[in-house]
Amino acid sequence: MPAKFVHKKTPKIGVLGAISRNASALVLGLKYFFEPNRFTLMYPREYIVLDKRYRGFIVLNKNKCIGCESCARVCPTGAMKMIKIEVPDPKNPGKKKIAKYPTINHQRCVYCGFCVDICPTEALYHVPVHDVVYFNLADMIQDLESFQKEPVSPAAAEGAIPVKYVFDPERGLVKVRVKEGEKK
Amino acid sequence: MQAGEVPKINMSSWEVGESRYLPGMEIKRLGKERFVVYIGPQHPGSGHMRIIIKVDGDVIVEADPDLGYVHRTMEKLSEGRAFIKIIPLVERMAILDACNVTLPYVEAVEKLLGLEPPERAKYLRVALCEINRIASHLYGFGIFGVFLGHSTMYMWGFGDREVLVELAEKLTGARLTHTYPIFGGVRRDAPQNFTDNLRKAIRYLRKRLDEYRKIFLDNPVIRRRLEGVGIVPKKVAVDLGLVGPNLRASGVEYDVRAIEPYEAYDELDFEIPVFEEGDSLARAWVRVEEIKQSLRILEQIADKLDKTKGQQIMHDRFWAKAPPLYKKVFEAEGRVKLMPLFAILRVPKGRSFARTEAARGEITYYVESDGKDKPYRVRIVSPSFRNAIMFKYVIPGHRIADLPAIYGSFDYFPPEADR
Repeated sequence: MPAKFVHKKTPKIGVLGAISRNASALVLGLKYFFEPNRFTLMYPREYIVLDKRYRGFIVLNKNKCIGCESCARVCPTGAMKMIKIEVPDPKNPGKKKIAKYPTINHQRCVYCGFCVDICPTEALYHVPVHDVVYFNLADMIQDLESFQKEPVSPAAAEGAIPVKYVFDPERGLVKVRVKEGEKK
Repeated sequence: MQAGEVPKINMSSWEVGESRYLPGMEIKRLGKERFVVYIGPQHPGSGHMRIIIKVDGDVIVEADPDLGYVHRTMEKLSEGRAFIKIIPLVERMAILDACNVTLPYVEAVEKLLGLEPPERAKYLRVALCEINRIASHLYGFGIFGVFLGHSTMYMWGFGDREVLVELAEKLTGARLTHTYPIFGGVRRDAPQNFTDNLRKAIRYLRKRLDEYRKIFLDNPVIRRRLEGVGIVPKKVAVDLGLVGPNLRASGVEYDVRAIEPYEAYDELDFEIPVFEEGDSLARAWVRVEEIKQSLRILEQIADKLDKTKGQQIMHDRFWAKAPPLYKKVFEAEGRVKLMPLFAILRVPKGRSFARTEAARGEITYYVESDGKDKPYRVRIVSPSFRNAIMFKYVIPGHRIADLPAIYGSFDYFPPEADR
């Protein structure tokens, strides 16, 4: 069933039509003047509780990482780099071996999530946080320690009100307050 | 000149080089009543471009669009990247239309690989394409509104776009740069309540379109500024090679979704509105009618998504041999894990074309591979680039006050044109 082309014409309005349409535009404007449909997020005082599926900041679970380099290879911006560190060798107690782990540069990361999806052991994962603030550029280059820490939204840490948006056939999106128990 | 001395500016001189204007707002005198006016490049509208116009009084006699301020060498950059890494790159052409502009690239590479995505993946792609199309048109309306001094339309357009951005976020995990279609399928399955939310959003937008009509399109003030302004006759539109809604507003039947259906478009029942007038008002109307049809498509897609629930969304070539962990993650989170071979994917030698109908018109990709893990050439022809030539031919003859009405009605998007 391919699409059909339908020829149409822009509706014409006469003088009387212009008057009535002026009036209806004003009435509609007045209606929204008294009953506005607002859903602005008052950010520092409120924050969105993001979905679990949200592609937010990326965190490493070092215990699962096997150092396969897939994440660094697929990264489209070169944000993820492998570093080599010495770790105790489980096979030869007392000796050390070289292991590879990824680190991330948040200056370059575009949060496409390819690294998370390509990781064969699920060692990388997204956290539903998107509003972390860094005070200088050097902090954005994560080392192995900070890459394993789950970032916390600064608004949430300072006790902002958690909200979320739900779909509504009448108002589009409605801002709803999230109760403590509902947070995932 | 000594330190501390203030340079003297001769306010009576209009000669070239004597600048008494802010950058981007220079005026040059050509004759008694003739001036050159530089409009832009500091954001005259939806991005960075400049229109150099020559005016006689306040009638424009010559217009010269000056593009390239946001050129990012995407085609050249593509030659040095693995195939998969090009998807997040090219979607930055038009982030509010991300699925539509990356889909032809994915299709072109799929043609070289000889893949056909599974049925459900096609529906999901179409769903995101149409969500993007509506969001992009609403964005265009917002910009158009603010050009005409109608700030209500700006607020409404951007506010209602949020509904669609939120839908896209629920589907893909990102508000704008979705990176959703991928070779062989899509990256995420629709969440549990996605189709319910989609239906709610459709009902809401239908109601809103009536209100848009009341406050914007049928508003006599707006109509006066748009009717008969910036007329593109059918022949001119064809000769200059316009695409998309701008072409269909001039009465030409051309839409890639109809003449060369891709993905699931041949299974869907929808109309493509064509308007005869070719003026700014018709270009606004064709977008409204298109939003209505997109809602119709989304309604059908919602039913189809319900029918194909739980089906595979990745081609067997990348999914049949997936380890058990991958399938577990897919069942639990609906997330398609990529096989490690994606990072070093070698595409067979060959060349391929693919095109889709993006929100602003037809977008074409040419991908040539020489059998390595990087493409030999990626050529992109984007809709805004093809529409930009129109400024040169449509604007002359109008007054300066008509320029925003014409510029806004073309829904021109500089980052997409400059690539």
